[in-house]
Amino acid sequence: MSKSKETSTIKTAVLPAKSGTKKAILDFLKNAMDKKNFDAVIIPMRVPAGDSFVYVLIKDVSLLKDAFPLSPVMSVQGARVVSSVTRLGKGDMKIAAVMRPCEIRATIELAKFGQVDLENVTLISMDCPGVMPISDFLSDPEKGMKLFDDAVTSWDDSIMRPVCKICDKSSMIAGDIHIGTLGAKKDTFFMIPKTQKGNDTLEKSDIKIDADLDEWHNKVTTLSEEKKKKRNSANKDLKVKTGGIDNLIDTFSQCINCHNCMKVCPICFCRLCYFDSENVKHSAENYLQIAENKGSIRFLPDTILFQTGRMMHMSVSCVSCGSCEDACPASIPVGQIFSMIADETQKAFDYVSGRDINEPTPLVAYKKDELHEMEDAHD
Amino acid sequence: MERKIGVYICECGPNISEKIDIDKVIDAVSLPEDVAVVKRYKLLCSVDGKKFLEDEIKKQGLTHLVIAACSPKQHEKTFMEVCENAGINPYLYQLANIREQCAWVTDDKDEATKKAIRLVKAAIRRVRYHFPLEKKEIACNPDVLVIGGGVAGLEASLQLASSDRRVYLVEKTSSLGGMVDNFEKTFPNMQPGSNLIKQKILDVNKNENIKVFTDSIVEELLGFFGSFEVKVKAKEQDAFVEFDVGAVVLATGSSFFDPKQTPQYGYGTLDNVFTAIEFEKMNKSGKISLKNGKTPKNVAIVHCVGRNEKGYCSQICCMYSLKFARYLKEKIPDVNVFHFYSDMCIPGKSQQKFYDQTKGKHINFIRSSNIEVTKKGDNVQINYSDEDGKANNLPANMVILSPAITPTSDSSQLAELAGISQDDSGFFAEEHEKLNPISTSTEGIYIVGSAQGPKDIPDTLIQAEAATGKILSSLVPGRKIEPEVKVSHISESFCIGCKNCMSVCSYGTITFDEEKKVCVVNEVICRGCGNCVAACPSGAATLKHFTFKQLYQEILEAV
Repeated sequence: MSKSKETSTIKTAVLPAKSGTKKAILDFLKNAMDKKNFDAVIIPMRVPAGDSFVYVLIKDVSLLKDAFPLSPVMSVQGARVVSSVTRLGKGDMKIAAVMRPCEIRATIELAKFGQVDLENVTLISMDCPGVMPISDFLSDPEKGMKLFDDAVTSWDDSIMRPVCKICDKSSMIAGDIHIGTLGAKKDTFFMIPKTQKGNDTLEKSDIKIDADLDEWHNKVTTLSEEKKKKRNSANKDLKVKTGGIDNLIDTFSQCINCHNCMKVCPICFCRLCYFDSENVKHSAENYLQIAENKGSIRFLPDTILFQTGRMMHMSVSCVSCGSCEDACPASIPVGQIFSMIADETQKAFDYVSGRDINEPTPLVAYKKDELHEMEDAHD
Repeated sequence: MERKIGVYICECGPNISEKIDIDKVIDAVSLPEDVAVVKRYKLLCSVDGKKFLEDEIKKQGLTHLVIAACSPKQHEKTFMEVCENAGINPYLYQLANIREQCAWVTDDKDEATKKAIRLVKAAIRRVRYHFPLEKKEIACNPDVLVIGGGVAGLEASLQLASSDRRVYLVEKTSSLGGMVDNFEKTFPNMQPGSNLIKQKILDVNKNENIKVFTDSIVEELLGFFGSFEVKVKAKEQDAFVEFDVGAVVLATGSSFFDPKQTPQYGYGTLDNVFTAIEFEKMNKSGKISLKNGKTPKNVAIVHCVGRNEKGYCSQICCMYSLKFARYLKEKIPDVNVFHFYSDMCIPGKSQQKFYDQTKGKHINFIRSSNIEVTKKGDNVQINYSDEDGKANNLPANMVILSPAITPTSDSSQLAELAGISQDDSGFFAEEHEKLNPISTSTEGIYIVGSAQGPKDIPDTLIQAEAATGKILSSLVPGRKIEPEVKVSHISESFCIGCKNCMSVCSYGTITFDEEKKVCVVNEVICRGCGNCVAACPSGAATLKHFTFKQLYQEILEAV
């Protein structure tokens, strides 16, 4: 499914944004809530202290005015939020979730694993300039806010998370509606419906879907091509730095085994991670045996096993959001490494995580004829 | 009780003893305190060897047994029996393969010895974490489910039904008889087809050991040889009939290639172009006529319709096309018949004779290619290239197309239901083309008749009889079967309900508990393949006798 083919048949709505896109989006949501198209909205909001952002589930429409659709940081990956709300069942209420494309894609992956029920949820994504690393922002929130605002205006990614700088899917339409700001004329923005649900939502809000996508599409294509180039060259460097068993051990040698990366990962949905279970805890006799075999054994053990094991479990669904890297207290470029590996594993199965709810995950899709290139790798 | 592990290394004649320094292995693995005894023996699988082991277990008071010998494929069960005879649980034993995976793969005795030491050590470490598993026995169910009420299904049902074996015959249409019921006569003896089938239907209906379901489909089929659970649903009804059987015969027949996919033959667009089955029905109704009611004078029969598209010869079309010429000649004595064929497929002891008897003055055979049927006035015209490649044509009143035999439209659904595979063309795949032509990849499920590939009536009946022979000799009433002991278990507290395991289970073993949002294994159906364990991201699924702990401990010593 090529992007141009996907979008060429789609039309868009063009909406005015005289007082800024943020205000216009909030007005749209308020209007939709007033019309009972949505009963609640999941959206980022600035914490009262003003120095960070969290996701909230807004039921009181008057609180919408304080929401912040394009927050400068991703404190919690949105997919985890939608999963928390719907995992035990869809509930009676219709919910709009306003998130970044990578969060939407992770949500779709979780839906495939039965961890999200999308039936009553409308997913709204937007052109994403990236998010700042949490620590950068928290060190001086006021300055951070200004830097972020400037970056959004100039579409400059230099202050963003490393994976955001090389993200070629920052405008990917995976949910029901996508909010496009790229290529829009002054004081306007696009509302692009992708699914029937998205279409219906816009129609119920009396929004006409009659404009061409060309301008947005051209801009997005150019940007994503640029990012793809940057991504390829960054990954090439990273592969040299981390490839091979010695480099791999060096890279993860600072790992403190806190498992934060797993705890914040939207795809790591297991109730108990295998690497936190009793299965990887052993008797003194066992540890001594290993120490005898190798001369010594590092404690806590199994860092590489944890990293590669987690990689094996989630990389085909990884959406390259970079939450793991933000959470790493040892500053290991874990997000960049996982994102690089995810590119390869997903390519092997001709799969893109979160691209399409109807695309089965590679583990459960049986194809008689696949992975021949992997066979050759042994020659 | 204190653990006492006995380790016995088989010399396997010269097979192991010449390639591995067994004494060195004995020295290397004797150290741990719980290893009570390590010994070598010339041939453990021999009668003497088994007796020796049994005595040793008793004499030494062993609690666990490690054998270092050949592949578990060869003698795992042998030594499990020894354990049972000696009074220890057969799952408290581990076999280290030091022959196929060690002695036989290198000429370097040092390397082989080193590897053997690791393998035996790994087996010792693993066996410490084994726990006893109890075998269960369930009575095998002698009853049989037959799907499809055509000639194959009727024959199988009649052969199988007896006072101690009930047969459930499920037919999706409203009546029994299948394809053969359409045939006025059958080749090569030109005996009436309906007589053949009518007697069988009569016999089936009056047999009190055969329960017939018409207008019904099998909705669910779970289990294994000796114990399948079946759900049958009558069409347009919600209620199920549920019963258990021990074996299944799939006799679901075949369908025809749709000639609309090859528009050059004019089917569906031109009048008086018929398919073979349409012509059979017309003939059986008693009168062969054109659309306008007139009797045809010149009839063209086009062979091999769809052969190129499907990529195989359907085996029976030449013969029934010859039969059509006979039908025509009988009903319209002055008719001219033109066979457009590329190759005649008439093997066997009577087919050639049938061909020789059929061809004659007014029955012509035109070897041709590039056939196209077009309209010509009120009639049709066959345009073709002759044997020399020269374009030619022939006017006719009627065209009969002999299309390829294809799998039925529901064959994929049935294959999935029964857990069997399909071949490249979509027919049910036999276990082995030559060696096991009616068995499938699932034990206890047999395929007979044209559901397995194009076939005439005698071949179909042969398969039906072969399947019944297999069932009668193996599914003996009163026989006990042992369900798999090494089954999967899903931990309720670890399962996150992602259902990955359900997608990869080939046996329909796993269900989802909507209340608790967790997956649940039906241990009787589980075959212990381990797919679910591999697919479970959270380690909730574990396989008995292949637990994470057991594997980890084994690997720890092996690498």
